[in-house]
Amino acid sequence: MTTGLIILFGLTMLYLASTSRIIAHIRILIVQGVLLFLICACAGEYGSLFNLAFLAAETLIVKSIAIPWFLCRVLRQTHSNRDAGANIPHFYCLVISSIILLAGFLISNYLTSVKMIAPIYFGVSAATIIISLWLITVKHKVLSNVIEFITMENGIFLLSLSVAKGMPMLVNMGLLLDLFIAVYILGLFVNEINKEFNGLEVSNLSDLKDYENND
Amino acid sequence: MINMILLFPLAACILVLLIRNRFFNIWMVNLYALVHIAASCLLVFGNEKTAGLPYFAVDNTNGIFLIVLSVVYLAAAIYNTGFVKTLAAPDRRISHYSCMMMVFVLAMTGTILSTDLGVSWVLMEAATLSSAYLIYFYKTRHSIEAAWKYVFICSIGIAMAFVGIILLNISSGDVNSLNFAKLYETAAGFDVKFLKLAFIFMLFGFGAKMGLAPVHFWLPDAHSESPSPVSALLSAAMLNSAFLVIVRVFKILEIADCTTYARMILMLMGFLSLFVAAVFIFHIKNYKRMLAYSSIENMGILAIGLALGGAAYYAVILHLIGHSLAKTSMFLTSGNIYSLFDSKRVKSVSGLLCADGKSGWLWIVSFLAICAFPTSLLFISEFLIIKTMLADKHYVLCVVFVLLLTIILYGLGRVVIKMAFGELSEDKASVIETNKTKLSICMWLPQFVLLVMLFVFGVYIPDCINEIIKMAAGTF
Repeated sequence: MTTGLIILFGLTMLYLASTSRIIAHIRILIVQGVLLFLICACAGEYGSLFNLAFLAAETLIVKSIAIPWFLCRVLRQTHSNRDAGANIPHFYCLVISSIILLAGFLISNYLTSVKMIAPIYFGVSAATIIISLWLITVKHKVLSNVIEFITMENGIFLLSLSVAKGMPMLVNMGLLLDLFIAVYILGLFVNEINKEFNGLEVSNLSDLKDYENND
Repeated sequence: MINMILLFPLAACILVLLIRNRFFNIWMVNLYALVHIAASCLLVFGNEKTAGLPYFAVDNTNGIFLIVLSVVYLAAAIYNTGFVKTLAAPDRRISHYSCMMMVFVLAMTGTILSTDLGVSWVLMEAATLSSAYLIYFYKTRHSIEAAWKYVFICSIGIAMAFVGIILLNISSGDVNSLNFAKLYETAAGFDVKFLKLAFIFMLFGFGAKMGLAPVHFWLPDAHSESPSPVSALLSAAMLNSAFLVIVRVFKILEIADCTTYARMILMLMGFLSLFVAAVFIFHIKNYKRMLAYSSIENMGILAIGLALGGAAYYAVILHLIGHSLAKTSMFLTSGNIYSLFDSKRVKSVSGLLCADGKSGWLWIVSFLAICAFPTSLLFISEFLIIKTMLADKHYVLCVVFVLLLTIILYGLGRVVIKMAFGELSEDKASVIETNKTKLSICMWLPQFVLLVMLFVFGVYIPDCINEIIKMAAGTF
């Protein structure tokens, strides 16, 4: 069951790589949040009731409700629905992401001998992080970059679940708080960038250079 | 005392947000600076070290970092008193600015005092987020670009550092703790393969915050676009706190017997930082960006010193102190220059000594301090690093090191001399005369004191401070 959910989580990254509508990307964030909650619940390693409540709050409330809702609001305010004209056509994005995901599965096969980690978690989360980082470099809109930043954080969350003993609670709380504030700040900046540059193209943000005079 | 240093700013922030009075806000920032330095001195020189808080303590390593942060913040806060008066922003924005500045200092203090890698990480990210508003303070196209790059690159960097922490957790086997003392105790039994991987991630993550090449891209933009007191804090305090985390992680590798590997990577990043700084400073057009590249250079020197080990550890601490004091002085003076000439272009600034003698001389003396002119403290530290290189028979490295430093010195010198000397054009003279009235005593006194400290420390370091430096170098 857990393995199926993790594979499904990996597949959401392929969907992210192959679509250009930003609202679809936000929906994928909701799906990822729910999947992460189900993975935590199925794994049954949450220990106390407090831990379960925290994980539910983290994955369901923050990752699947609060952040997507906030991003939808930013999307409405900025009227930017598509991230068309990415550096690489979506088909090739899909192919490359699939190769990275496949490599993730192969790594997990290789890691079966390491006792401290659950291999499939490790492989898929490593693939998610790499795909997210790669998509950040490919996409053209700052809002897409924020979404890929969140999928990367989801990948890191999955990676932290791969460690059998888990991370200390305080660190998890801090991570969640920082992620939430980072997304909030980035969202505010997206609005400001839209106002200041009349668009969300990343290429607008290239004024500060060393070889030209800047004031 | 630790409670005081960590809780005071929270109360002060609430007051600052409630009472939106410019005068009150400025004095709250100053009051926190005074509380900070008083508490730091009591903590480091006194007997009380832990204060019963579970995740924060002063130990032999972080004491000197805390004192440096206090001094830099006090200088920046005093300068800020004069600086805020020159701003035309409404009181609401000043209150947000003051609040975020205190939160930023709080986050850095927490990072330095933290005894747990996880808590250090959380507070490091908090420092990134709180300083984002400060960089965006001017609300121009350039400042939003700088702030966006800063938050985005640093958040991704720090996320990579978290991956490193998870890998460290995997390598530590049955030890379920991120407490540094506990990690040091058990490091000898860690899984070396995962530990090495963890170090790479953490070095790149925290190195991004520290400004080490090749993950330094946010640094020139953020330093040049933020208000001068914020640039000073970023360069002279935040980079140090990231360095402290790297030092602590490095020690884990040292105990786990992976020193050669860790040293090689640190050395590589250090020299790459020097190279990047040399290339960009050589033809620099913007004097605040020049200072930012100089920070990258000095962080590179710290990384090289750490990689060399032995006697270089003492030099690293001296260099850290010297760089913090000199760079604070330079960034604060650059704020005066910007107030006078209203431009960050090197081309637009000349005849600084004629325009304002005090700022002109501070600019020149700060330059002498940063380029390790005797008796600047940086002279001693760089001399010791070169001596260690020669003693360890790293002759080629030593030649490259000196060559790169010379190129940087030439780049800095060319710009500083061009700006300080020369004639002041007549059309600018009247505008500068008006702008000069804005510069109060608060805008040159802190730099003067810092420079005096810097040049005196080059000849004589008081015993109590020398003791802390030696203790810190001993724990590296």
